[in-house]
Amino acid sequence: MTDKRKTNIKQKLISLLPIAALLVLFAVFLVVVSINGYRLDMYLKIVFNEALVLAVVATGAIFIYTLGTFDISLGASTLFAATMGVMTYNKTQSLILMIVAIFAVGITASLLNSVLASVFHIPPFVTTVAMMSVLSALSAQIITSYGGALGGISIPSEVVKPFDNIGFKAMLLIAFFAICFFVFQFTKAGRRMKFVGGNPICAELTGIKASKYTILAFVMAGIGIGLGAFLTLCYTPSVTTTTASSIGMNIFIAIVFGGMPISGGARSKIYAALIGGFSYILLNDILEIVIDSSAAYGITQVISAVFFLAVVYVTSMNYRTALLPR
Amino acid sequence: MSTPKRIVNALAMPVVTLVVLQTLCLLNGQSVISNMKSFDNFIVYTAIVMITTMALSINLNSGRFDFSLGSMAGLSCIIGAKITYGILSGGNGSAPLMLCISLVAGVILGLISGLTYCTLRLPPIIVSLGVTLVYEGIMYTITGGKYVMSEVQNPSMSGLTGTWVYAALIIAAVLAFMIITFDKTAFGYDYNALKSGQKVAVATGINEVKNTLICYGISGGLMGIVGTLNAARNTTINGGQLNFGSIAIMFTAFLPMFIAGYIGRFTNEKIGFLLAAVCMSLLNSTFAVFSNSVNATMQSIINAVLLVVFLIYLNNNDLIKRLLKA
Repeated sequence: MTDKRKTNIKQKLISLLPIAALLVLFAVFLVVVSINGYRLDMYLKIVFNEALVLAVVATGAIFIYTLGTFDISLGASTLFAATMGVMTYNKTQSLILMIVAIFAVGITASLLNSVLASVFHIPPFVTTVAMMSVLSALSAQIITSYGGALGGISIPSEVVKPFDNIGFKAMLLIAFFAICFFVFQFTKAGRRMKFVGGNPICAELTGIKASKYTILAFVMAGIGIGLGAFLTLCYTPSVTTTTASSIGMNIFIAIVFGGMPISGGARSKIYAALIGGFSYILLNDILEIVIDSSAAYGITQVISAVFFLAVVYVTSMNYRTALLPR
Repeated sequence: MSTPKRIVNALAMPVVTLVVLQTLCLLNGQSVISNMKSFDNFIVYTAIVMITTMALSINLNSGRFDFSLGSMAGLSCIIGAKITYGILSGGNGSAPLMLCISLVAGVILGLISGLTYCTLRLPPIIVSLGVTLVYEGIMYTITGGKYVMSEVQNPSMSGLTGTWVYAALIIAAVLAFMIITFDKTAFGYDYNALKSGQKVAVATGINEVKNTLICYGISGGLMGIVGTLNAARNTTINGGQLNFGSIAIMFTAFLPMFIAGYIGRFTNEKIGFLLAAVCMSLLNSTFAVFSNSVNATMQSIINAVLLVVFLIYLNNNDLIKRLLKA
């Protein structure tokens, strides 16, 4: 066997590691739940609902990460979209208007980021930092004004009850993923986004307008935010100041866990968020079951972080550089 | 550019900020700094912002995005507080001892973070995500997720931030250290070479790993000081910051970092950090004056808008000048 062939096989095996990690984690999860005598159906539902929102928002965010940048405001945007959805429903009693408001807010918040970045030439991550502050503050103001500091704001649970089932949610996830997969893999826009992310100067020299694809990437992320906010409300029809607070950072972890380099470009993978999102939630839930104590949250997080670094270290073996990466 | 012109340009930003904010306060029959207490707060906040901004910029200027600054500040000062309390039980000399221990703990935590980055050779942003989770987890485990209060509530700690003198001394010491280390030593020359051209610098024989480790160590040490100052100012340390709850501290340093970059065109960049911190502290003092009418939400929005507006100006400077001429 030639060296080149050996290398190719090694690279293929490494690229399959995130999927293998997901399967292993799922198997461990099943064992851990069974050993502890917990209800498997209930725990599967919990994992699915927790991972679903993360996977949906992160799948939309893949387009931004492909461009070689990142958006730290996704959690705050999801919170704000959900907040405005609840406010809209409570004012109008209309489910359709609530859904429209959620998606409109999600896409607008994301578009605003991209417009500031594209038109005014501000680094996208800085605009998202500013957006995160504004949206978190506005949401907190609305929630505490209308629902009190602890209670939060809510809609009647029966409004979203028809949508709170695994079948419907799985269908939404599959539909959204299929659309993203198609745009990412089979359209000119998807290919060009990877080109811009891989080599922005070269892309510009070949006539590709990065700003156009930045806006498109943020729109896709905005749809993910809207869907994530809606699914959040389906699971828990109330919004507090901490709703979706960890999503923004967990997206980083999910995407990298799924085997995609944070630098974006040609090696970006649309399925990374889906695999990584479910893997990360499974890992956390396994550790929470095994270390069953509120005082152990810290230890759980440490183990989870070490596991994360180990997985990323192994999966990134294909593209290690001599210089320290930046 | 002549020296007097440089001085005028460097001082323009803080002077204009002072004039605008003082005018706003005078219109309401008040002053930005109305008494000795508010002057003490002004200097302490200047120290916190200046040191945080320096810690952020050391790595960010070299293309290393570090989310772990907040967790380093938190964990180092928790270690400092616990050890100090164990030795002195809150007695005389607690503050200087805690400051020293936190500084050393910060350096060690920074070195661990740097060593992880250099060993794993993963993108720094990914390593910092893992390190943040680990440090937050350790913080939570040490404190049980509770606030650390009795260890930092003593006359010595109150005295540290009760007068402007200590904060001013810390500012002077840190400023002198940073100027000497980064502008007058072999390490500093290597740092600047690596910052400007990593590949060429490494090819000329500069030890990148050693330089990077020192950068992380210094950054961690600075965050140890920030942690202690924050602990003394707030009379508590939040030990329950899980799931990236600690990263907010770094976002406060973005605006001063960009302001410092602008001022740095006319003077030493480190002086720029001080002047930028003065601007932010003036704004913070003004918020305190208007605390009845400008709530936390408004403050967040104002800070975010200022960040975006300033970056729009910085990144479109030539265009704005052309438009004004036309």
